[in-house]
Amino acid sequence: MDLSRIGYFVRRFSLDPSLIIVIVLLVVVVTAGFLLSDRFGTMRNFMNVLEQASGLGYASIGQALVVIVGGIDLSIGSVVTASTVLMAAVVNVHPALMIPMIFGTLFFGVVIGFVNGYVTIKTGVHPLIVTLGTASILNGTVLIYTLQPTGSVPYWFEEFSYGRIGNVPISGIVMLICFLLVWVFLRYFQAGRALYAVGGNPEAAHLSGIRSNRVILFAYSASGFFAALAGAYFVSRTGVGDPRVGDPITLASITPVILGGLILGGGKGNILGVCLGVILISLLSNLLNYMNVSTFIQWVIQGLIIIVAVSVYVHKGKKL
Amino acid sequence: MIKLERISKGFPGVKSLDDVDFEASAGEIHALLGENGAGKSTLIKTIAGVYIADNGVIYFDGKKCRWSSPKQAKDSGIHVIYQELMLFPELSIAENIFVGSAPLTRLGTINYRLMYERADEILNKLGHKLDPKSLIKDLSIADQQMVEIAKSLVGDVKLLVLDEPTAVISGRESEILFDRMKILRNEGICIIYISHRLEEIFSIADRVTVLKDGKFVGCHKVKELSHDLLVGMMVGRELSDIFPKKKFPSFEAAPVLTVRNLLALPKVKDVSFDLYAGEILGLAGLVGAGRSEVAHAVFGSTTRSDGAVTLGGVPLDVPSPRESIDQGLGFLTEDRKGEGLMMLLDASVNITAPMLSEFTTIIGLDRSREKQAAEDEIRRYRIAVPYPGFDVNKLSGGNQQKILFGRWTRACRRVLILDEPTRGVDVGAKVEIYEIIRKLADEGLGILVISSDLPEIVGLCTRVLVMREGQITGEVNGTDINEELIMKYATAAKKAPSVSVT
Repeated sequence: MDLSRIGYFVRRFSLDPSLIIVIVLLVVVVTAGFLLSDRFGTMRNFMNVLEQASGLGYASIGQALVVIVGGIDLSIGSVVTASTVLMAAVVNVHPALMIPMIFGTLFFGVVIGFVNGYVTIKTGVHPLIVTLGTASILNGTVLIYTLQPTGSVPYWFEEFSYGRIGNVPISGIVMLICFLLVWVFLRYFQAGRALYAVGGNPEAAHLSGIRSNRVILFAYSASGFFAALAGAYFVSRTGVGDPRVGDPITLASITPVILGGLILGGGKGNILGVCLGVILISLLSNLLNYMNVSTFIQWVIQGLIIIVAVSVYVHKGKKL
Repeated sequence: MIKLERISKGFPGVKSLDDVDFEASAGEIHALLGENGAGKSTLIKTIAGVYIADNGVIYFDGKKCRWSSPKQAKDSGIHVIYQELMLFPELSIAENIFVGSAPLTRLGTINYRLMYERADEILNKLGHKLDPKSLIKDLSIADQQMVEIAKSLVGDVKLLVLDEPTAVISGRESEILFDRMKILRNEGICIIYISHRLEEIFSIADRVTVLKDGKFVGCHKVKELSHDLLVGMMVGRELSDIFPKKKFPSFEAAPVLTVRNLLALPKVKDVSFDLYAGEILGLAGLVGAGRSEVAHAVFGSTTRSDGAVTLGGVPLDVPSPRESIDQGLGFLTEDRKGEGLMMLLDASVNITAPMLSEFTTIIGLDRSREKQAAEDEIRRYRIAVPYPGFDVNKLSGGNQQKILFGRWTRACRRVLILDEPTRGVDVGAKVEIYEIIRKLADEGLGILVISSDLPEIVGLCTRVLVMREGQITGEVNGTDINEELIMKYATAAKKAPSVSVT
């Protein structure tokens, strides 16, 4: 199909152009999956992928909000880790506190995010540095407390990750609902619009009467919240608090954000692209697992996809 | 020295240069004159090899040339000094002068001793006393310009182009700059000098070429020209056609905006004034006089150290932009891209940004009503944007500016502050913007216009305040308003001028 035809469809169905690349990649991966593996193209497998994707999904939502507002959050992985350990360790001693601790953990995430935002605003230090510092502090603290996976949670909490409604995994449903809510928030609410305005041009936003600092604080707090939610998901999956579980999450959370067409630097992007990015990454690693490709080669492939995707975005941006 | 024949250069949607002839010879200062958008910048960028002409021929030093990069033009002896100086603020003068061509020792390292010596020689040749070891960031803009000129003297410069150098420096510094330019001219260098300040043209240039709307208007010896003749060539029509007819407001009602003893250091030192409903009040002065800073301090986007502001009779104490906007104050900032538009977002979003609460319902934003409002503004100001969801970064300067007018006239009920409202827009859009401003004043807004474009201040305002070094040094009324008087107040009785680097 030539490019002008694609352009026609984009306008005809008022599709967001920034979603094209991730959709094209999704089609490629799914087609390849059907051709290369008999186990890939089953409803059962797709549901499993959805279930496994949600941890990354929550983390990416938070990352996306911070990126839209012009920042970056490198503490997401460490908040995930700290949340799992906090939750599992407390509930291990007081099993009755399971439900309060769900909220407690989410609140913990919000507090860490708030602190990230506050320090960024007050000191003017680049968020890359602030959140890296936070990450180091949290990781260190957790490892002082325990080097091994620790604690436990009641069995029923496992439903949050493994539970199914009919055939559909609860965790996947929650993730999709989160994406949908954030999409509605960004598109249909004044505060959501403010995120784009501040990310695109903080000075102009300020002079337009937008209270930029509150917007930035909100974005980082939300990021902390979603990181803690991802933490809760991992506790539910493994039943323990793992001082290493979050390590790969920080960088992993950036990948779908980039694939989804958000601009690092802020001010532009569609959260649905991030959702598709999460699904793309999860499907890809699922397919590569079926093909017995080693994890290390998977990393190489992911890296290539990121660079190719971003080059295409940049090229498109210049043409426009 | 250089000769351009029938040069044309177009960009999507505009023809920037249309069949332009231009010629300048060695040992002359040749002024290039024209309004914003006349094609001056395009012409010098074509000379400098930044743009490649669509049509036409360039002869340089007797040879037919076709540069495909700025470097080629530079290597053949053309040096352009743009308004934004290309200097490294953290490096020394000498390092800047010899960037990329530093003298080396036998080991291949930079020979600093020799570099400082030669930098000193070049500065002496210019008659300008500066320590080659001082850092660029510690110099005034005027001295930084000298470093740029010194840079050109490292190579074998034959043609030196200066793009509105006096727009950013004070009167006395301009005199010094002119002296240096004359030294270079007498050495046989051809200097092309861009400005729209007529007095300067008469005091320094040998010949002048006038461009208008991308077309060649004429080339004359300055001695053979009068002031009025030159204005006529530049504008192409009578001044009265450009500006709407002035109307005096009623000064009987209480002023809509009062400012008393406003203090916002370091730039604003004790400023007081009144603005009446329906009035177009000018705020003139040199760049760096503190005009924009007054606007920011009134609007609340910088904190004021002292002073009282009332808007519509109500005190406006230490506000934030949000509160000022809610009280009916609007501020169209000078830097359209840096402080005005959210360049990544679309026209509609940019128009409604300060007044989103207008479209907020319990279930979120009413996007169709928001779009409708944006469409209203687009139609009202005849903004050339295909649809409200169109990205603003693809619009021309004039249309971007009209988007901001749409934004602020919607948001603003009492007073609108306009900082350089027509900077970087073409003449046609200028006329439209002047009409918009007049109409807004007629509808009862008080309007404060900050502008460095003196003809604009003179043509538009019924009263003008002049600022110098953070204070108001004069007020000119009605028929007394003219460029000479304003310049007198703007530069008068001045000790050693200091120009900040910002």
